[in-house]
Amino acid sequence: MKILVCIKQVPDMESRFKPGAGGTWYDESDLAWRMNEYDEYAVEQAVQLREQLGESAELTVLSIGPDRVGEAIKKALAMGCDRGVHVQDDAPATRDPWQIAGIIAAYAKDQGYDLIFTGMQSQDRGSAQVGVTVAEDLGYACATTLVGFAFADGTVTAKRELEGGIKGVVKLATPALVTCQLGLNVPRYPTLPNIMKAKKKEIQAIPVAELLKEEPLAATVSFHPPARKGGGIVLEGEVGALADQLVGILKEKTAILR
Amino acid sequence: MIKDESTLNVMVETVQKFVKERLIPFEEQCSENDEIPHEIIDEMRELGLFGLSIPEEYDGLGLTLEEEINVVLELCQASPIFRSVIGTNVGIGALGIVIDGTEEQKKKYLPKLASGEIIGSFALTEPDAGSDAASLRTSAVKDGDHYVLNGTKRFITNAPEASVFTVFARTNPDIKGAGGISAFLVDKGTPGLSLGRNEKKMGQWGGHVCDVILDNCRVPASAIIGEKEGVGFKTAMKVLDKSRTHIAAVCVGAATRILDEALRYAVDRKQFNKPIADFQLIQAMLADSKAEIYAARCMVLETARKYDLKKNISTESSCSKLFASEMVCRVADRAVQILGGSGYIRDYAVERFYRDVRLFRLYEGTSQIQQLIIARNMIKDVS
Amino acid sequence: MKTLLIGEYREGKLLDSTYELLGFAGQLGAETAMLLVGSDSQLPACGGTLYLADASQCGEYNPDLHKQLILDAVQKENPDYVVFLHSSYGWDLAPRVAAKLRVAQVSEVIGLAEGGFEVGCCNAKMRRTVKPATPKAVITIQAGAFAPQQPGGNPSVQKVTASVMSNVTFTGYEPAEAKDVDLTRAEVIVTAGRGVGKKENVPVIAALAKALGGELGASRPVVDAGWVEHSHQVGTTGQTVSPKLYIACGVSGAIQHLAGMKKSDFIVAINKDKDAPIGEVADVLVVADVLQFVPALTAKL
Repeated sequence: MKILVCIKQVPDMESRFKPGAGGTWYDESDLAWRMNEYDEYAVEQAVQLREQLGESAELTVLSIGPDRVGEAIKKALAMGCDRGVHVQDDAPATRDPWQIAGIIAAYAKDQGYDLIFTGMQSQDRGSAQVGVTVAEDLGYACATTLVGFAFADGTVTAKRELEGGIKGVVKLATPALVTCQLGLNVPRYPTLPNIMKAKKKEIQAIPVAELLKEEPLAATVSFHPPARKGGGIVLEGEVGALADQLVGILKEKTAILR
Repeated sequence: MIKDESTLNVMVETVQKFVKERLIPFEEQCSENDEIPHEIIDEMRELGLFGLSIPEEYDGLGLTLEEEINVVLELCQASPIFRSVIGTNVGIGALGIVIDGTEEQKKKYLPKLASGEIIGSFALTEPDAGSDAASLRTSAVKDGDHYVLNGTKRFITNAPEASVFTVFARTNPDIKGAGGISAFLVDKGTPGLSLGRNEKKMGQWGGHVCDVILDNCRVPASAIIGEKEGVGFKTAMKVLDKSRTHIAAVCVGAATRILDEALRYAVDRKQFNKPIADFQLIQAMLADSKAEIYAARCMVLETARKYDLKKNISTESSCSKLFASEMVCRVADRAVQILGGSGYIRDYAVERFYRDVRLFRLYEGTSQIQQLIIARNMIKDVS
Repeated sequence: MKTLLIGEYREGKLLDSTYELLGFAGQLGAETAMLLVGSDSQLPACGGTLYLADASQCGEYNPDLHKQLILDAVQKENPDYVVFLHSSYGWDLAPRVAAKLRVAQVSEVIGLAEGGFEVGCCNAKMRRTVKPATPKAVITIQAGAFAPQQPGGNPSVQKVTASVMSNVTFTGYEPAEAKDVDLTRAEVIVTAGRGVGKKENVPVIAALAKALGGELGASRPVVDAGWVEHSHQVGTTGQTVSPKLYIACGVSGAIQHLAGMKKSDFIVAINKDKDAPIGEVADVLVVADVLQFVPALTAKL
């Protein structure tokens, strides 16, 4: 069985972001880079499946980006992936989700993967499109936002997280792609000895030009901080009226009250 | 020397995450209970932290000193007691074997020290002898193919947890100085070896220190490190050259955390309608701490690089340890000052760190001993 | 301009969030048509064409089939935008539709911007303006970002159906589990501060938390006094939280507390003291007695 897990390297989300020179994405200097959190759940689930299947399975991790993404790939290898694929791209932030999905699909198309894992979205761009689009491109069965995963007899049983904590249970025939959500598992730490051993695992480098065939469908025209919060509103008066006012504000400003 | 930068970066990131998720949330509890929960120590073992400096052929990670220091700088963003757990295996409790041990000794101890299955401890200090080799009293008298050890070792870090002790004893009473001293590997449970009670310390609660008492403790001659009499003190000095650099890195790591705590407080805390960080007298304290931490960091890394090039770092490691340990105490003192009354209250990590870091100016050679080493080396070079 | 709105329906009910789609179309000033996989007993209160597929035949979750229904409706309506909610239904389905149409998708739109759509990014710390490069586009809108509009009236229903082989089979729902307190994951936290007065008053605050589907939080003094367990404590010695809505009841706003909650998306403070430091981080400060105001608020929910 062949398994693929796709990961993105993103800045540490505690960083302070500022627009870069073009004004359409963040300035990448002085950032600490991490594996996208949702992708950690994907890697952990893929590694657990790899362990369940034993030697009959092979698990590949793929990432797109400049040299620095080699570190994210090494982390995934240290967590238990067998081999890495590094699609070398010095400007991944200029590709829209359609193109990123196209690159992955172009790589995966002839490889015969039975299962593909991705995070449900990236922490930086947050489009939640790439995984599903890859599945569409490849004609794979697909389910998103997994908080439960089991595999037996060629069938995936997935629990999707729905609003309010309800779960939707779905079965997928392979080949399939699933996108992983927080709560699916607790990603293991890559241990230091395993990080050393990961040095010996193969990382295949592929220039992005070999895989990028699509033009972008959307463009980011501006990257900026949110409008500054003005001073808070102060409400005073009779309690019943205050409660009405507050309910009105909560309905307008938050997604909690409808 | 950094052999593979991206591999080191992955390690550093892992340790950073572990510190944030698994150590910092427990540090207050560990201090209050004077104990680190077993499951956390198990997680540290699994992560591979005990084997940082032990060569790869003995199942360690075989990091260069510069690489080790990069990891330690991150690890020490959490309470120093966590570093202390691995500290003797990475440092003084294992280095004697790594540097001067026989192949048999290495095979016997190093893989277990690297995995953290056993803890190593370094027993040099005595009630009447610290860094003064001449006054070392513990004796080792040859008796057939054994030695009989007698004496008391004081303030031995991790002794309550240790399975093997590197014990320094005088094998030749006719040589008063360093030349009469040998280093023995004494296993826990050897008849005649016992421990004193855990000392009640000012800080670093959760890390344990006690006396190690040798009362007609018989060990085979093969227990001498390198199976060679009279070179024990040299072994100790080689160990300490390296481990003092490590301790200096510990100080830099702790100081970084302490300054971070103080900075966050200064930005949040308001007086006279503005954050206290806006006041220049606070800014001066923040800036002095930042500059001193940077200086110490540079010293430590430079010393490590020199060590990795197999150069003598006796002077540099003492300079680093002297400066960094004095520095971290100044940084902690300023942090308490910045926090004001809160800095004196247990709820704030700064209060705990203030007590914890005081030890760094005392162990593995007091600041005064470092001054003597530095000055002696200087004078020796010109005379 | 024309939009095709994709309504939401679950467990036999039209979801109210469907009206947020109308709110979005209203802001765009666009004509609307809607597609709903639902039932004719649960019609949205709005005019315009409604392409209605029967959920009992098409399934509430059957992405391949729903995709086909939408593609069919797109064929008929030729809309400029196909609009979904950015929900477990919408983010699952929208990219499938966009991929088949080969058009741009803009995800989790929070507002309209000059030259495109405003979306959040970098864990909602920053914003992007995204512009589709295709004549049509698929849009998902953030839940709560557009005020719902319920224009009333009756849609002109066109019943539709499709049959598609699917390799995804929906087998049912699982109810939400009762969990231990994990404030860091709560979407709503209602915190009791010293201002609640005594232990016996804590249930008043807990009732508001429950009414909002959230968790009870507590400030340090309340925990120290033994009114609430430590697992509920917010602040430097408790948990650091950033829920979507944080309501501080009788919390003065000591720096230790603020450090633990100031990153919340929306903060309401209820305090008798207009100058309490909690006011500095609050989006709304209600100047009132907690024990009078909180029950009044709970009663309105």
